[in-house]
Order: sequence, then C-alpha cells, then structure tokens
Amino acid sequence: MSIVPKETIHVIAQSIGISNLHDDVAAALAPDVEYRMREIMQEAIKCMRHSKRSVLTTDDVNTALSLRNVEPLYGFASGDPLRFRRAVGHSDLFFIDDRELDCKEITEAPLTKAPLDTAVMAHWLAIEGIQPAIPENVPIDPLSAPPEVKKSDIPGLKPDQMTVDLKLPVKHVLSRELQLYFEKITELIVTGADDVLLKDVFASLATDSGLHPLVPYFTQFIADEVTRGLNDLPLLFSLMRVARSLLLNPHIHIEPYLHQLMPSVVTCLVAKRLGGKNFVNHWELRDFTATLIAFICKRFGHAYYNLQTRVTKTLLHAFLDPKRAMTQHYGAVKGIAALGSKLVRLLILPNLEVYINLLLPEMSSQDQANELKRYEAIRVYGALQAAAGNCIYEMLQSAPPSRKKPANNKSQSTTRKDVDGDASMHEEDGADDKDEGVKRRRRALSEAWKEDVEVGDLINSLVDLFGEEMLPFIPMREMSKCIL
Amino acid sequence: DNEAGRYKESYSKLRNWVHSSLDLYKTELLRILYPVFVHCYMELVAKGFAQEAREFFQSFRDDHQPQHIRDLQKLEGVITPQHLQENETACTLQENKVHVKMCQYSFELLLQYLQSTESMLMLGIVNSHINLKAVLPGQPAALVDDDESSSLPAKVQAVVEATNQKEIHWGILEGSLEDKFEKQIAAELEKADADKDAETDEAKKRAADGKVKRVKRDKAGKGLKAEPAARSVPRLKPELTMPLLTDDFERQALDDLRNRVKLGSTALPSVSCYTFVNTNNSLNCASISADGAYLAGGFSDSAIKLWDMVKMGEPSMYSDAGKQSLNKRPTSIRHYIRLVGHAGPVYGVDFSPEGDSLLSASGDCTIRLWSTRLNANLACYKGHNYPVWDVQYSPVGHYFASASYDRTARVWSMDRLQPLRIMAGHLSDVDCVQWHVNCNYIATGSSDKTVRLWDVQTGECVRIFTGHRSMIVSIAMSPDGLFMASGDEDGAIMMWDLASSRCVTPLLGHTGCVWSLAFSGEGSILASGSADNTVRLWDVNGSSKVTADKTRRLRLLKTLPTKSTPIYTLRFSRRNLLFVAGAFSPSKGH
Repeated sequence: MSIVPKETIHVIAQSIGISNLHDDVAAALAPDVEYRMREIMQEAIKCMRHSKRSVLTTDDVNTALSLRNVEPLYGFASGDPLRFRRAVGHSDLFFIDDRELDCKEITEAPLTKAPLDTAVMAHWLAIEGIQPAIPENVPIDPLSAPPEVKKSDIPGLKPDQMTVDLKLPVKHVLSRELQLYFEKITELIVTGADDVLLKDVFASLATDSGLHPLVPYFTQFIADEVTRGLNDLPLLFSLMRVARSLLLNPHIHIEPYLHQLMPSVVTCLVAKRLGGKNFVNHWELRDFTATLIAFICKRFGHAYYNLQTRVTKTLLHAFLDPKRAMTQHYGAVKGIAALGSKLVRLLILPNLEVYINLLLPEMSSQDQANELKRYEAIRVYGALQAAAGNCIYEMLQSAPPSRKKPANNKSQSTTRKDVDGDASMHEEDGADDKDEGVKRRRRALSEAWKEDVEVGDLINSLVDLFGEEMLPFIPMREMSKCIL
Repeated sequence: DNEAGRYKESYSKLRNWVHSSLDLYKTELLRILYPVFVHCYMELVAKGFAQEAREFFQSFRDDHQPQHIRDLQKLEGVITPQHLQENETACTLQENKVHVKMCQYSFELLLQYLQSTESMLMLGIVNSHINLKAVLPGQPAALVDDDESSSLPAKVQAVVEATNQKEIHWGILEGSLEDKFEKQIAAELEKADADKDAETDEAKKRAADGKVKRVKRDKAGKGLKAEPAARSVPRLKPELTMPLLTDDFERQALDDLRNRVKLGSTALPSVSCYTFVNTNNSLNCASISADGAYLAGGFSDSAIKLWDMVKMGEPSMYSDAGKQSLNKRPTSIRHYIRLVGHAGPVYGVDFSPEGDSLLSASGDCTIRLWSTRLNANLACYKGHNYPVWDVQYSPVGHYFASASYDRTARVWSMDRLQPLRIMAGHLSDVDCVQWHVNCNYIATGSSDKTVRLWDVQTGECVRIFTGHRSMIVSIAMSPDGLFMASGDEDGAIMMWDLASSRCVTPLLGHTGCVWSLAFSGEGSILASGSADNTVRLWDVNGSSKVTADKTRRLRLLKTLPTKSTPIYTLRFSRRNLLFVAGAFSPSKGH
C-alpha cells in the first residue's frame, strides 16, 4: 500500500529501543511516514528553487526540516553528491559508503590544498546583439565547419597581412577501429604474411568503404617503406599491390595524395637495383608497376593534366641516358610501352636504331664478359622488341595498310627528304643509291611519330633491326595484309 | 470493498464516454475529467480505502500528468483521512467548487449520460464539487483563453473577477527621472523655438546668414521633439512621500538618459556577462547595481560577497601599461568584500538606485541593510516569521518590499524597523516581488501560480493575474507602467496588460526556470535570463501596439547561449547596456 513497508517501521522502532511494536501500529504509521517524507521533500524542492539550483542537496532537506521545526540530520552535509552502495546479497538495499576514519590519521595528514576562491570574470556575451567569438562564449555553431576564407582570394590583401591569420591545426580524429585496422594491415605487409592472407588484405583495401581517413597514412606508409625496403622485393611487391588496391577502391578519393604516391611507384619501376640479391626476379615487379602507372595515368589523367607528361619525361630521361643501368632502361621501356603505342611511336621508335646499335655489343658474349649484364641487355632487347611489336600491332588494327599506297608514299617521302632529310639523316648522306630502300625504312623509323607513316615500312625497318625474330611479335593475320 | 471498486469502474466509464464523444464536444467534456478524478481519489481516501485509492490514482494519473503534474505530486502522498485535512492542495480543492464552462449541448450531453447510466457516484461528485456553467446556448464556443480557469477554484475565480474591476493608475510618476528628463528636453525645445522666433525677426534683416542657421535648428528641434510625442503616458502625483535625490546623482542620471542607446528590433543591446566561478553550487542569488559598477552575490553559507567592478575595471579602459607589467595577476580576477551578518542562506540581494546601499533577504527571516561605502551592516529588519525569499528597492529608493515563505509581502521604509504594510492574500509562498515604476503598486509572484498587484497606500490587492501553470519566479514592469512580464518555473513568460489584467501574449521558448526578466530603458526590448543557460531578447513593440489582436505573439529577437552559466539576474543600465550575471556550473557526470 505505502511505499514504506511496515517492516521498516519495525526496524526503526527497534533502533530506538521499542522492541514490541504492535503490527497494527506499524501498519498505521507507514502511510503517515510516507506522507511526511513527501511533505519534507516538497519543502526541500522549494528551497532548492530559491537557491536557483536544479539539484537537490542535503542542505535543502535540512532547511526544510528546520522550517518544520524538526531537528536537522547532522553529518550528511557535503559538497559532493552522496555515494550509495548496494548491499551484498540484496537487490534493493542501499547504504551510504561511510568509512570509519582515524582521527590520528587526519591530524597527522598534511594539509590539503585550499579550494579555489569564488571570483568573477567579465566578458561580452554580445556586442549589439552579435556574439563575439571568444573562448568565454559558446562556440557559435559547433556542428558546421568554420567557413574557409582563403585570404589569398581576397583582393588587395598584402602578403604581410596574411601572416597575421593563424591557421589552427586541423584536428584529425581517427577512430579506434581504423587505427587497429591500419596497424594490422601494415604489420601483415611488413612481416610478409602468407599469400592467402595478403590476398584478403588487398581485397579488403580495394573494396571496403570507410577507409578514406586512412589514405594519408597509407600513402605515407608506402613512401616510407619503399625508401626503406628497396632491397626487399616481396615487400616492394606487396606495397605496389597495396597502392593498386587503394587506387581500385571506389570509395576512396585518392587524388589529393597522388603526388605523394607517384614517386614511390616510379621508383619501383626505374630504380637501379630492386631486391637485394642480383638474381632475384625484379623484372616481374617492374612489369607490374608499369601497368600500375599506366592505370594511374589513364584514371587520373583528366584530373592532373600534367601527370602523364611528367611521368613520361622521367621515363624518357631514364631511357635516353646511356649511363643508366640496363635495369633502369628496361623499366623505362616497359613503362612507356604500358602507356600506349602512341608513346612508343613518339619516344622509342625514333631512337630505336641508335639504341640498338649501342645495345648489341652489350649482348654479344665477346664484348660483354659479365653474364649478368649480358642477361640484362637481352631483357632490354626483348622489352624493346615487345614494345615495337605491340605498337605495330595496334597500328595495324587501327589503320590497316592499303596496297596502292607505296608509290604515292614513296614520292611523298622523297619530297620530304628534299626538304628536311639533311638534318635528320645526316650520317646517311654518303650511302649508296641502291640502298634507297634501306634509307626509306630508316626514315620510316625516325618519323614513326608522324600520323601518315607507312606501317609496311616500319615493319620492314624493324625486321632489319631485330632480324626475323621480330616477326613473332607481330600478329600474323594483320601481317599478311602488309607488303613486305 | 465493493464500493471502492465502483469508483474506479464509474470513472473509467465516464472517461471512455468522454474520449469516444464527438471531437466537437470532446475538448469541452475533457475539462470535467480532472476535477472528477481528483475528487474520486479524495473520497476514496476519506472513506479509508487507502490501497484502492493508490491503485485508482496510479491507473489514471498519466492522463493528467502533463497539465497538473505539480498538484498530482502534492496529492500523491495523501493516503489517510487525516492527511486530507492537512494537505494544502486537498483543502483548497475540498473547500471550493471548481468552475467548468461549457456550451449548452455539451452540458446536456453530460447530464443525459450521467442520468442514463445511473452512475450516482459521478453525479454526486459533479453535483457537490463542480460548478457547471452552460455559458452559451448552441455551438461549442472557442473557450481556449479560459483554459486555465477549469483548474481554478470557483471562490478564487469570483475574487479574481471582483478584484480586477478595481481601477488602477498605471501612469508614471510626476517628478521621476524620466519625467524630469522629458521636461528638460521640452524646455530646451521651447528655448530653441523661442530662439527661432527671435531669429525669424532678425532673419528679415539678415536673410542669407539666418537661413543656414535656421535649417540647423530645425533639424535639432525635430530630433528632440519626436521622442516626447511618441509617448503619452499620464503623470501621477506620488502617494508616498518621495525621498530627495542628491544633485550629483540626479545630474548623472539625467546625463545617462540623454546618452541612452535607442534599442529596437533592429538595434540589439550589447550584453556584458559577469560569471561567478568556483561557487561550488553555493551561490543563491546575485544583483548588479544600476550602473553595473557593483556586483553582489548571496551565498548559502549566509555570506554576501561584493565585487567592485570599476576597480577591477575593463582591462582596456582602466589599466595603463605600467600598472599591468607591475601586477602580473590576470586583471579580471580580484578580491571581493565579504559581508557577514546573516544566520541563514541569503535568498535575495538588491542594490539601491544610487548604488550606495544593499539589501539582503535571508533564510533567517531577516532583511539586512548594508552600505557599499562603509562595507558594513547598517540595519536589520525583523518582521517576517519565515524565510524571506526576495527583497527589492523601490525605483526611487528609501522604500523596499519583501516576499516571504509566510505567504505575505511586506513594504518597509529604511528608517523604520517595522514594516509599513503587510500584503496578505496569496494562498502559498510569495516568491518574488517587483515595484511598479510609479511606486504606488507592487506586484508579487507566488507558488499558488498567480501574480497579484497590491496598492501600496491601502495595502489592498487590486489585480490577480491567473494563467501560469507553475510557481512564479520573476516579474518585470515595463518603463511606461502599462505592462508586466512574469516568468515561471517551467520557462513560460507571460506578458500582462495591467489595466485589463489580461495576458497579452505568452512567450514560449525557455526550457528552464526564468530567473530574471528586465525591460530596456525605453521599453522596446524584454530580456529574460534562464536556468537553461540562455539569455533571450524579445521584441515588445511588435505586439503591445496591437493589443486587440490576441494571436499576435511577441517575437523572439535573439537567443544568446552562455557557457554552462544559468543566468541568475540581468538588468539594463540607464544607458541601455545589458548586464547579466550567473554562476558557471559545468555539468558533472552523475
């Protein structure tokens, strides 16, 4: 009936020395106790209101008690909220955690620090109705990001004024889950887990949404690890695959970080030495990276208009520099080849003859005693062959040659020779007239970048350069259409 | 046992019937439910069915929770017949019939239902405790504005109606500062006119030179003329003997009025915030002097702390470079003066208009007068028998009013230790008090949810304002003496027209107790400070012009949130700078 059970009344009676309280008396008292308690609480709430508080304190209850001429309850006044503890073994019995204190301990303890004294601070809550953005005021709109005012965009602002505008550090919050994810992934990659696990890792990186906050960390990780682990081929391979996965992930907006990523990727393509030992198969890595670069250029070329030109410039430098190692040349050739037949025509074919002439001695067993170097040269030779072959193949596919052209073409090219032949074919001036065909073919090579170049001539010149081994690189069906 | 069960059964039948009735009549019929519910419960208690009464109460309390939560809380503990006689709420309910207005149709519907179902219990309750009034023959009328009257006891209702017929004089006082200020301007204006007249004579002689001057004078004249013309507030002779103001103070006050910033919906005030820190929840009240120079806080440990804000200074204004380098302490934190004398929590403090003295009301039933020049206690006024909740100086000083737990408000003068008047009539605690600008009236807000206006000379109640749903915690008077604003515990603010005693408009927006209200100097803006950590500015001019249009609401102009600082007090300076003060109370996780 009442929220105060009559057992409580019995307990209280016993505590003040009445042991034989009649049951009926307890039952009659219980509702009254409840009523009095409610009354006191109402009064206490009133006191709380007049103290302009929203939390009831023991002081309020004591004030209410004294208003009713009841002795206040001593010993409960405290600035802190009371801590109730649950009695062991009872679900609804609570008591106040009130430990016994030793007076001696208290007197011997060092004095505690005095609490800070009440003080008053003054600030402007509003100036003509507008709240100034000062730390004393509530942030104006905590949800919306502060408007990005680019000072440089404001006309007539001097650069020295810009220094006044302090840019606050951007707080970047990374959730605990993402941190764990990043740690786990990087650990797996660095330690080199088994293939199955790595496969899952790459799949996750390529498909999971919500990885965007980690992109800067991953690009940084790749950059760091590439510079650190140039001798560790599996690591480099994994890193490139991470890069590839990130690039493939449709939920990631990776463009802003490409500039950070590209150097590492290019390194893996044209570095002098990849992998510690000399005989490791770094060629595969270079091939993989070449396709990766081609992929990047294709996908982000529109966003970064100078991305491809910068990459090709780097590659061309590596290709044309005779001092560079063969491995670097290989990477450059592969890279250019991967970027498309147009670039091969533009950059490789015109330089092919000179280059092959330099390369041939490296390949012969007489001139090059070092087995490894000879092998490397052969790889480069192969790469060139493949690039040229692919290029011809694509040309044939896009523009099948016609049989009628040659005569016309010949006259055209001869006239052209009259105009600019001197400069481009300087060394061939003294050549025999009967070698007119050879000349034409060579010219075809050096002019390979031109739109109207004759495919047949190109093929012939390539066959001249590479010999009959060239032919398998060119698909037969299209070949048959050509005149040799 | 059977009898107890019948109460519940009949009530739930009635409830179902009302809820299933046509929407047209439903709103009117719903009004009958609360009084019937309360009386059913009390009858059950009176007959000794404590257990059943509790059950009955619990099963239907949710229906009435939103509107009557505070009454329900008070009634909940009532279980025995003895409690019925003691409980304040129960007594008022039993002694008075409740007025319920409804249209003829609803009335007949209800009667027909009660007769046809032969629920004699319900019929008995309606008969003995409810005063049904069929106000209009025919269709249910729009009785929305009388919504609150259903919960008001009939006897009180009658008193309210009778009281509110009395005439009151709401003009501003002759000889008050505003009056003097306007007279001064009028005098200047006349002088300017006279000059102009003289000039026109001269102008005939010196045409070219005079023209330019005249144009200038005209402009100056118009600027000043516009102001007094806008207000046509009547002047009144004071009923009390008015204290004399010192010349210095008067000159300064008039100067302030002349330099007053004109505020409006487009020109919002600047707000200076005084924040108490490290109060440990012990700050009970605060007050700011009229010029913002002094700040006083009343604490629950019986002390009053007084800060001199001029000495502390606005850092940019008062601290010159040499001093600052010498004194490395942050300039915003200074020491205060501690005034000790009370023997209970201090619930109210107020500065005199001149700022040279301070009054404090305390839980020890006394009011004390302190001098801010001497930093000492000058007098102790004993008269109340219970804690004094609030105290306020009259606008001219010298007189002051207090509000107390003993259900009275008292008017005092500084030179007498006994009160001059005792205003008795509130049915519960008087929680706040506010002087009318012309010093002839005081307004009191009470826990009985009414605001009353008392004539200081006769001590009679001249107005009762009903409509609040909970305890009144703050009142403000408009400077033209026409309107009054009152704020309650739930965050509602009501704007009253004193002459008609009608609510002009309720201002809803606050979510916590409205601890403080203030009108700007010319009465165009109402500022409210609340426990929900905001200061809100309301446009007064928008609605007070169109009093007839009841749907029009006062517009909320601006909400200024503070940083975990409930606003305890706010006040406009004479130059219309808004000062607010509150205790910084960061929320701790419980």
